[in-house]
Amino acid sequence: MNAIEVRHLTRRFGAFVAVNDLSFDVGQGEIFGFLGSNGAGKSTTIRMLCGLLRPTSGSATVGGTDVGRDPEAVKLRIGYMSQRFSLYEKLTVDQNIAFFAGIYGLPRERFAARRAAVLEMSGLKGRESALTGSLSGGWKQRLGLGCAILHEPPIVFLDEPTGGVDPLSRRRFWRLIEELAKSGTTVLVTTHYLDEAEHCHRIAIIHAGRLAALGTVAELKRIFAGRPILEVQAQEPVEAMRRLDEMPDVEKTSIFGSAVHAVMRSADAGPEAITARLASVGISSSCRVVEPSLEDAFLDIAERSVS
Amino acid sequence: MKALAVAVKEIRQISRDRRTLAILLFVPAFFLLLYGYALNFDIRNIPLAVQDNDRTSTSRGVISAFVQSGYFDLVQDVPRSVDVVDVLDRGDARAVLVIPGGFGSDAGRGQPTSVQMIINGDNANTATTVMGYAVGLVSAISARYQREARVLAPAAPLLTAETRVWYNPELRSTYFLVPGLIAYIAMLTAVVSTALSIVREKEVGTMEQVRMSPVGPFAYVIGKTVPFFCVSLVSSMGIIGLSMLLFDLPMRGSWLLLFVSVSVFLVGALAFGVLISTLAETQQVAFQVALLTSYLPTLMLSGFIFPISSMPVVLQAITYTVPARYFLIALRGIVLKGVGAEVFWPQLVALAVFAAVVLTLASLRLKREWGMGR
Amino acid sequence: MKRVLHLVRKEFLELRQDPKLFGIVVLAPIIQLIMLGYATTTDVHNVPVVVVDEDRSSASRELVSRFEASETFVVVDAVSSIDEIVPDLDGGAAWMALVIPADYGERVGSGRPSVIQVIADGTDANSTNVALGYARALVTSYGSELGVSHGRRAAPLVGADIRVWFNPSLESQVFMIPGILALVLLVVTTNLSSMAIVREKELGTLEQLNVTPLARWELIVGKLVPYAILGMADALLVVTVAVGWFEVPLRGSPTLLLAMCLVYLLTTLGLGLLVSTISKTQQQAMMTSSFFFLLPMIFFSGFIFPIENMPTVVQPFTYLVPLRYFLVILRGIFLKGIGLEVFWPEALALLAWGLAILALATLRSSKRLA
Repeated sequence: MNAIEVRHLTRRFGAFVAVNDLSFDVGQGEIFGFLGSNGAGKSTTIRMLCGLLRPTSGSATVGGTDVGRDPEAVKLRIGYMSQRFSLYEKLTVDQNIAFFAGIYGLPRERFAARRAAVLEMSGLKGRESALTGSLSGGWKQRLGLGCAILHEPPIVFLDEPTGGVDPLSRRRFWRLIEELAKSGTTVLVTTHYLDEAEHCHRIAIIHAGRLAALGTVAELKRIFAGRPILEVQAQEPVEAMRRLDEMPDVEKTSIFGSAVHAVMRSADAGPEAITARLASVGISSSCRVVEPSLEDAFLDIAERSVS
Repeated sequence: MKALAVAVKEIRQISRDRRTLAILLFVPAFFLLLYGYALNFDIRNIPLAVQDNDRTSTSRGVISAFVQSGYFDLVQDVPRSVDVVDVLDRGDARAVLVIPGGFGSDAGRGQPTSVQMIINGDNANTATTVMGYAVGLVSAISARYQREARVLAPAAPLLTAETRVWYNPELRSTYFLVPGLIAYIAMLTAVVSTALSIVREKEVGTMEQVRMSPVGPFAYVIGKTVPFFCVSLVSSMGIIGLSMLLFDLPMRGSWLLLFVSVSVFLVGALAFGVLISTLAETQQVAFQVALLTSYLPTLMLSGFIFPISSMPVVLQAITYTVPARYFLIALRGIVLKGVGAEVFWPQLVALAVFAAVVLTLASLRLKREWGMGR
Repeated sequence: MKRVLHLVRKEFLELRQDPKLFGIVVLAPIIQLIMLGYATTTDVHNVPVVVVDEDRSSASRELVSRFEASETFVVVDAVSSIDEIVPDLDGGAAWMALVIPADYGERVGSGRPSVIQVIADGTDANSTNVALGYARALVTSYGSELGVSHGRRAAPLVGADIRVWFNPSLESQVFMIPGILALVLLVVTTNLSSMAIVREKELGTLEQLNVTPLARWELIVGKLVPYAILGMADALLVVTVAVGWFEVPLRGSPTLLLAMCLVYLLTTLGLGLLVSTISKTQQQAMMTSSFFFLLPMIFFSGFIFPIENMPTVVQPFTYLVPLRYFLVILRGIFLKGIGLEVFWPEALALLAWGLAILALATLRSSKRLA
């Protein structure tokens, strides 16, 4: 049985359709990524799956329970971390942990163990009496995750958990998520950081409320099958880009760092051909085929779903 | 000017917050109507219970005199066996008239007799008034029966007090209450609107942005106050106009003076809200402080309802810190007495001083906050 | 049930971190009570009087000294003609003028009636009424004294034997202070409860709570209990000050008083909760509670303005104000010493209102946005 099953989920706010006919499944133990730009509908979807928002139409089954019809039944079995930090800043670390443990009805025996585990996981051992508000971003996020999984829910929803957190902390955080998944927890994560999405088993790309693409990272990159991406290093990248744009077999170009990525319409022209063409207009360059990155795929998919 | 930029931003914000705008503009008028109409101290239709132990036409004559006066409403005829105090306990009537047995025959023969009035004293105000009415009615009754009994009246009293009332001859309490209501509503609206504005920026975090900009604390404070000033001014002049229309509030003085007084008062009130804003860390605290220092004190200490001269000296001193006090004197003076600035210029000066002091304090406080941690 | 305890504990832990707020909750009611207890007096004292003594005889001076001797009046100015009182009255330096005619001493000395003019500033109709009453009474009784010395009979045919019940010394404080008590409790608790919930909404922690298996009623009870406890503590404090400092008599049962306070708190907290369900931000909550609930409750509850004075059209609406019932109960317990057997209708009404408001608020607060 799938951990999460979504069928034609839709949510309207007046005339605005925030989530439009979403359908997908998430298997148990999967790290499922929800990728999309701001305002694409990711948070709205998560809220519906958590029973915080009622769907306008469609259905969603979480852990075997129809969330639309019976939101309360699912709450013991899910954990949730919102975009905004939502623990009590005026409470200490320990007090927050104790509070949520109490709300989830953790029995005494389990509480001690779970508390230790959460403190260990978030690296806050020894800082139990620190005021939560005094912690910096990364620590707060880890504590937030800890409190969300205190009761060991089989399904966890994380809404942009690494927003505003330094890269090192982000990596640590993802390692935690991977460990969670390895122990059998299903994790649905939303993010707009493409590099993070690479950690996910499967990704759903959401654009303007619709499901634009769904698959593993490799599958998503395969949209470039037959359309190689060439990386062009040139002295004047902007000029090079302009020239490349003029070439009919170049679909589109974009700046990547100091180089130019050109998506070719077909595999006919290779890197040597491109270098030659550029040289013929006085631009010296070096060119090679590169693996499409998730960012390439994302931008491509997003563009296509608009048209 | 920088203050202008702040003001413009604030105006834009206010105009987008429909609910607050509506509250600031229309609610005062609505409440003025509501309270101005409903509230007064005039005491009529006093529920009266009667225990007539005589039951003669004479005693009935006394009862009807009370009822005919228009002050009293006969609500209960208390049987002989019932203790009249129960009636008061239960709150069925505010006063009980007890006519003793034999009243009729005594009065008829010219024998001095008396009727008893037991009045519920819990509201001293009402009780005093009821007493006054009762005394007046009884002496009129006494005079009438004296004539009928052809008893020699005592010589006319040696001393009588003839009374005349100025400015408000009919003693309508509306004339007194409505200006007070205006002052109260204006004060409240002003303080609440600004009290939260700065604190909210603190809580939400946009204060940081402002701090980094070249706007100085004083300009910021002015910028915050001005937009609310415009709204409050419109609102206040509006309710004054409304009172004149609906409550017959007279206008015996100068409109210009009225405008000036209202303006100075509002600036002070708004600035006070801003000051609270700078002192509080959270909106909750700001609100509680606003309530504590303006909501109830303005109601009680401004002379709106309770006369300041009757208060203990210590409190009278405290009333000097309540801006509404000065405003009320000026407002009542202009509207009811028709006097000019030559009479209440001290009040205007006091209001101006209050505004200036508060504005300065607010900017100083803000300056300190911004300076710290820069 | 245990979850509720966790919520209560959390709320107190948070409050502990906010000492300013705590101080306000505890200190403010007392300060307000004391200040307002003294201010809200409708008793008329120290009425400033300007005297126009056209007679200037020893007789007229004696009359003036009678006025001076009374607590009600204070002679602030003496002028020689009526025209001169205008600036005093206009400017508010005096609000009464006593005009003694030139032939006063002569007439009174020979046993002939004389008329004193009393001119009053009618702006404050209420106080003027009372002051005029005192002035008339003073003049009449002084006149009777003089009359007696001239051998005139003083007693009228029909006299009025007037007794004042519950408050024989006619102190208005005794009437006002129970009202202030109720008011202070109202202001503090309504605000606290509404802000407490809206703040969680604003900060986002409410969402986190909604994701947990916490039931709606548990959340509400958990939020209200801490403030009910604070409210009761406040009530105790305030009652103690009322009785200890102001010496307001407490003739009824103190236990009953506290029980009724608890019922009252149901309504005030429920009101706060209701406000929080219709407000998205703290600012909205504050505006709504102060304008739409507190202000009308002050004016329409019979606290200052007796309900019987209001136009008949308006009176039925006062039944909607819970404070109205609580005032009757409070004044009954303090001043009249009566109990439930007399004011059970009001107690029932208060309870009903409290439950109704709480029910409404609970219905409106949903864990899931529609």
